[in-house]
Amino acid sequence: MDTNIVEVINVTREVAWLPWAVQYFFLIGLSVGGVLLSLPGYAFAKDEWRKLGRVALLVALTCGLAAPVALLSDLHQPGRFWHFYVVFRPTSWMWWGSVFIPFYVTGLLVYAWACFREEFQEQGRIDSRLAALYRLAALGGGRNDRLIRVMGLVVLAGAALVALYTGVEVAVIKARPLWHTPFLPVQFLMTALVGAAGLVLILNRFAADNDRAVEAQANRLLAGFLGAVMAVGGLWLALGLFGLERTHAEALESVANSEAWRVTALWAVLATVLPFVIAVAKPMGTGLLSGLIAVHSAWMFRWTVFIGGQTVPKTGAGFYEYALPAGPDGLLGILGTAGLWFFLLLVITAFLPTPRRSAPRPIRAAHAADRAVAAAE
Amino acid sequence: MDQSRRNFCLGASVATIGAAAIGAATLTPAPAGAAQARKGGDAAHRWGMVVDVRKCVGCQACTVACIMENDVPENSFRTIVSTYEVTEQGKTGSYMLPRLCNHCEDAPCIPVCPTGATFQRQDGIVVVDNTVCVGCAYCVQACPYDARFINHETQTADKCTFCVHRVDAGLLPACVETCVGGARIFGDLNDPDSTVSTLIREEAPKVLKPEQGTQPRVFYIGLDPKFQGKVDGTPTLWRPAREKEHA
Repeated sequence: MDTNIVEVINVTREVAWLPWAVQYFFLIGLSVGGVLLSLPGYAFAKDEWRKLGRVALLVALTCGLAAPVALLSDLHQPGRFWHFYVVFRPTSWMWWGSVFIPFYVTGLLVYAWACFREEFQEQGRIDSRLAALYRLAALGGGRNDRLIRVMGLVVLAGAALVALYTGVEVAVIKARPLWHTPFLPVQFLMTALVGAAGLVLILNRFAADNDRAVEAQANRLLAGFLGAVMAVGGLWLALGLFGLERTHAEALESVANSEAWRVTALWAVLATVLPFVIAVAKPMGTGLLSGLIAVHSAWMFRWTVFIGGQTVPKTGAGFYEYALPAGPDGLLGILGTAGLWFFLLLVITAFLPTPRRSAPRPIRAAHAADRAVAAAE
Repeated sequence: MDQSRRNFCLGASVATIGAAAIGAATLTPAPAGAAQARKGGDAAHRWGMVVDVRKCVGCQACTVACIMENDVPENSFRTIVSTYEVTEQGKTGSYMLPRLCNHCEDAPCIPVCPTGATFQRQDGIVVVDNTVCVGCAYCVQACPYDARFINHETQTADKCTFCVHRVDAGLLPACVETCVGGARIFGDLNDPDSTVSTLIREEAPKVLKPEQGTQPRVFYIGLDPKFQGKVDGTPTLWRPAREKEHA
C-alpha cells in the first residue's frame, strides 16, 4: 500500500558525543598505530625499522598525551572523572577504558623514555646548559635493549587493550545499527594505522630529517593498511547491500537515501583509493601528499561514525541536523586539541632533536662491503 | 476523573505480592543479573504504562505538564507526542504517538553506565542519580528510543522517571494526570486487577522496537507497525534551537 508519512512534530536530539570524542578516538588511534609502528625498530631492535620507529614514537607520544585531554573534555561533568575509579562496573566498556587508558599512557611514557634514553645520554655528553638535565633524564644509563623490549611488550598489551575497548565500546551499541557491527573495532584499528602511517610521513618531512628510505617504507605500509581498510569496508558493504545480515542491511538502509551520506561515502572511497594509488605508484617524493590525505581519511572516518552516526534518529523520520558550533563543543575544541598536540610536538622535538647521524646501517653496509671485496678478489 | 486516574490510588493501595502472577504470565522477567542489581523502590510493585494511541488527540498537554513538573530545560523533552500526517489511498489523517522512557525490564542504558549513576529501582523505574553521573552520554547512545538527553543545566543524563517523586507519594505521573483523552494509563503490573494489567491481558498491546529485546514496560494499544520502529517518513520538524539562533 502506498503510504506517505510526514513527521509534523517530534523531538530533535542533539549529538551527545561531541567533536571532543572524535578528537579522542582519532588521537588515541594514531597513538596506538604509532606504538605498533615503533615496535619493530625499538622493541625488536630491527635496524631497518629504527628511523621509521623514531618518527612513529613521536606520533605515539604526542597523540597519546593529547588524547586523554580530549576524552576528559567530552564528559559533560569533567570534574567528576574520579567517579570512574570508585566503582566496579565490568559491564561497561567505558569503565574498562578508564582502567586501560592510564595503564597505556603510563606504559607509553616509560617505553618512550627507554627508547629515548640513548639520546638523553648522548645529549648529556654535549657541553650545554641543559646537559645536566639530559643526564638526569638518562638516569645514569644508555641504551638498554632488554628494558626497551620489556616496556615494548607492556605498551603493546596496553595498545591492544585500548584498541579493543575503543572499538567494542561503540560496536556494542545495538541501538545504532551503523555502529553495531563487529567490523567497527577492526575498521577503527585499520584506519588508525592509516592515520599513524600518514602522520609518520608528515613528521618525517617536518619533524625529522626527511629520510627518503623512511618515506618509501611508510608509504608501502600505508598502502598495505589502506588495502586492509578497503577489504574490511567492502565486506561491511557487501553484508548490507546483499542483505546477508540484518543489522548491516538496516545500517545501510538508514543512510542509503541520503544525498549527504552518498557524497560522504564517495569522499571516503576517494580518500582511501587516492593515497593508495599514490603510495603504490610513487612511494618516494609523495609522502607529504599521501600522508596528509591519510591523516584526513582517518579523522574523517571517525567524524562520520560519531557525528554522522548521531544524526540518524533512532525513532524519528529523516535525519537530525548538525552544524558545527564555533565554541568549545565544536570548532574551538577541535582546534584546541590540535594546538595541544602541536605544542607537545614542539616541546618534545625541541628537547629531543632528530639525531644527526644517519640511520644505523652497519650490518647491511658491512655485508655489502664484504660482497664488494669478495667480488674484487 | 477518568479510569486511569481513579484506579491508580486504589490499585496502589491494594496491590499484593501474590498478584505478581501477571508479570510471570504475560511479561518476561528481567535477566537475573539485572534484577539483582536493582535498588530502592518497593519490590511489591512493577510500575508500567499503557498508551492508548486511539485516544490521544495530540494536544501535548502531557509534554507541557512534564516540563512544568520536572523543570525540564528549554529545548529538551522527557516526553513528547510525535505527530505525523499520514496519507494512504488518497486520504490524509493524523497519527499521534506519545513517546517517553520505556522503563525496560532489560534496559540497555544501565549496563553501559560507567559509574552506576543509572540504575533501576525494585519497582522497575529507571532513574539517574545526577550527583553521580559524569555526563559521558553512553546511556544516551545506548537507548534505542532516543528517550535520553544531556540536561544542560545539570550537565548530566536526563530522562522520564515516571515522575518517581509523585509515584512515591501515591500520585500519578504528571503526564497521566493531565491527559485529557485518558490515553495514558499508569499502574502496577504486579497487580492483576490494575487497569494496566487488564489492558495488557485483554488488548494485546504492542511495544516499540521489540526486536531490540529490551522488554519495554510502556505498552501501546492501536500501535501501527509503521510507527513501531524508526519511522520512514519526511521530517518537517519544529526546531526551537534553530529558531533561537535566527531570532
